[in-house]
Amino acid sequence: MSKGIFDGLKVADFTWAAAGPIATKQLADNGATVVKVESFKHPDSIRLGGPFIDDKPGINRSGFFADFHSSKLGIGVDMNHEDALEIIRPLIEWADVVAESFRPGIMKKWGLDYDSLRKINPRIIMLSSSLYGADGPWSRHPGYGAQGAALAGIQHMTGWPDMPPAVPKGAYSDSVSPRYALSAVMAALIHRERTGEGQYVEMSQIEATAQLVAPQLVELQLTGHEAQRSGNVKAGAILHSVFRCKGDERWIAIEIENEAQWAALTDVLGDAEALTAARAQGREALEARVSELTTPRDPFELMTACHKAGVPAGVTYRGSDLLEDPILDARDHFWPLHHEEMGTLKYNGPAYRFEKTPTELRFASPRLGEHTDQVLTEILGFTPEDLAGFRDSGLLQ
Amino acid sequence: MNTDTVASSGALQGVRVLEISSLSGAVCGRVLADLGAEVIKIEPEGGEAARQDLPRVPTRAGEISASWLAYNFGKKSVTLDLGTPATDAQFADLAKSADIVICDFQRLSLSEMDRLAAVARAANPKLIWTEILPFGRGHAYEAMPATDTTLQALGGHLYQNGEADRPPVRIGLPVGLSQAGAEASNAALMAYYHALRTGEGQRVDVSVQEVVIWTLLNTTMAWQILGLNEMRGGAIRKERANRFFTRLVWPCKDGYVVFGPVGGGGGSARIKSYAALLKWMEEDGVTDDILTRHDWNGEGQFAIPQEDYDAVTAVIKAFIEPKTTDELISRAVRDRILMAPINSIKHIFENVQFRDRGLFKTLHDEALGVDVELPANWVRMSQTDVARMGPVPQPGADTEAVLARIKEATA
Repeated sequence: MSKGIFDGLKVADFTWAAAGPIATKQLADNGATVVKVESFKHPDSIRLGGPFIDDKPGINRSGFFADFHSSKLGIGVDMNHEDALEIIRPLIEWADVVAESFRPGIMKKWGLDYDSLRKINPRIIMLSSSLYGADGPWSRHPGYGAQGAALAGIQHMTGWPDMPPAVPKGAYSDSVSPRYALSAVMAALIHRERTGEGQYVEMSQIEATAQLVAPQLVELQLTGHEAQRSGNVKAGAILHSVFRCKGDERWIAIEIENEAQWAALTDVLGDAEALTAARAQGREALEARVSELTTPRDPFELMTACHKAGVPAGVTYRGSDLLEDPILDARDHFWPLHHEEMGTLKYNGPAYRFEKTPTELRFASPRLGEHTDQVLTEILGFTPEDLAGFRDSGLLQ
Repeated sequence: MNTDTVASSGALQGVRVLEISSLSGAVCGRVLADLGAEVIKIEPEGGEAARQDLPRVPTRAGEISASWLAYNFGKKSVTLDLGTPATDAQFADLAKSADIVICDFQRLSLSEMDRLAAVARAANPKLIWTEILPFGRGHAYEAMPATDTTLQALGGHLYQNGEADRPPVRIGLPVGLSQAGAEASNAALMAYYHALRTGEGQRVDVSVQEVVIWTLLNTTMAWQILGLNEMRGGAIRKERANRFFTRLVWPCKDGYVVFGPVGGGGGSARIKSYAALLKWMEEDGVTDDILTRHDWNGEGQFAIPQEDYDAVTAVIKAFIEPKTTDELISRAVRDRILMAPINSIKHIFENVQFRDRGLFKTLHDEALGVDVELPANWVRMSQTDVARMGPVPQPGADTEAVLARIKEATA
């Protein structure tokens, strides 16, 4: 089998929470050697976020953490120890890429800002990804992806017009920004491949997320109209909504973009005459009529019938549906990986596939400090005596 | 890579991209163009259909799609009728001079993609052929019809948004497609990095459904580990696979803020944030036994009864409600309280942090008679330029120049 694209690439990964680790996971799953550096006194906070295995919180028990850390090696160091650079400096010398997602100022406090790093390793590429960015009046304000979704307009655009904004699931900016971060890092790697020059890549997660509302910003400036959340109403569609189906909390999203799809939908639902009459009465009448016809139907059977007829439709999948989805199964989306404390869990694989250089989730997420000895001896060349000394001084656990 | 291109000094200077797209492919091309690639759109005579996507904005040259403007400024446009074998030779020449091709399912059918891929890849084996598809390639479901909304549903996200007593709601933006475009940009660049080092080109495909799954963050683990299907909850929901509801959206005097004061998981930032809130409340004379009854962000948070979460929420809500967003946020920023305004589009445009950072760049388009600010400066790179602003291309504006250049290169 072909090696991954990043076979041989070396990454010192100081990222934490979700936005940073999701980006470095792509490097790891495509063959890079990624060393995640954690402070054992202040481990990655999403180790403290559920779901926990057996419903018991524990530092090595979070599925939330696990999913973002496949194929990564983990070391635990006291980063606030006065001798931390004894371990970190050789790691920087070794690395091609350093990634971090702390609030601005933390890396500098440790002597690990870009100016310091490039003195150690002039070819280094450093990624700093923070919620607000490295400068500006809010740069030191802490925050997570829920704040990011609010600041970048995602919450404003989600929900019913007569209700407060609904919180979209997930720390939304944590899912947008890694895609942009990775593209910028890739551009930096390509530039380095061609010129030998490393560089500093600095980004704000909310600025990346604001790319999703760029059209609405254009509209505001050129028409004065400000986009608002509108439930499931979509301008220009013949039909666009989410309809009740048979079963508890079972729904189907249907979108009709053209007359051919409309004709096909009336065949699938039956009662073409009543549907056409309802359509003539307007959106609400049409949605009410469609809803009457979908409510007694099994959502999965209805979706299959829609697809066969060429009608875009999607059951509103729950977590359990994703795990059982034949599409994702055919796509080999999930990767079962074994973890010493958590057993075997299905990790999410990437959204892309390479024809010739397949992605491989090689092993499960690291327990806190799981690879400390391995990384320090095999990669950084320390001796067992060195490690004993580090442990005596409290630098290592 | 092409050495005859000196259009920008971005990190991807000299990388040439052909884009046969609708929305998602255009977002992919936007990212690559922002990073310095030369992006050439291949459009039918008169321009691609996405030029008329809603909402539209008025310009000197007539109405144009706001999203088309936002995602396509600064690119080139070549008109070529890709439907006929007669133009295959021209397309092959274009492909020969390119590094990356991007296409998406809203613009091309699978059979059109296959036909064009065969032509392009025969002409240039080092080419990266990038496809954005609803469900990806290589299985029985690859041709199933889909739209952004049905993919928000099949990616598991839609179910979890909205009020518990109403149908689930989508995010009112085509996030599946635009996020898939961003994902395709990094996947294409990974493959291009490989081609640069080994000479091996390949096909890359992106599944919008899988892109949406990656917005959930812990949903599939919550089901596997706890047998828990997360449920939507509007402003109040069960966060991080919690068994209890906490309020995340708080009404204030002139809008809403997002804030997770209690029960959102551990971490010192949350603990400090809550302490700073209590100090502020105390200064305002708000005291209540419930505020300190539990270690709200400590290890025991998962065992606190729902009625206590409700009680502490009521006290905090009464404190927040009469204050303005400005009052709340200036104090939150000062004292590192984990709170943020729920920005409207106008608020984003005016936001002091975005403004101070220089996120916006002005696009001056003479032909359209438009001056508009775009959130183009989304990354800062120390050695290479980002987001060179250039006009929106008229359909076929660059056909002659691009074809002449290619003819010269292949002569």
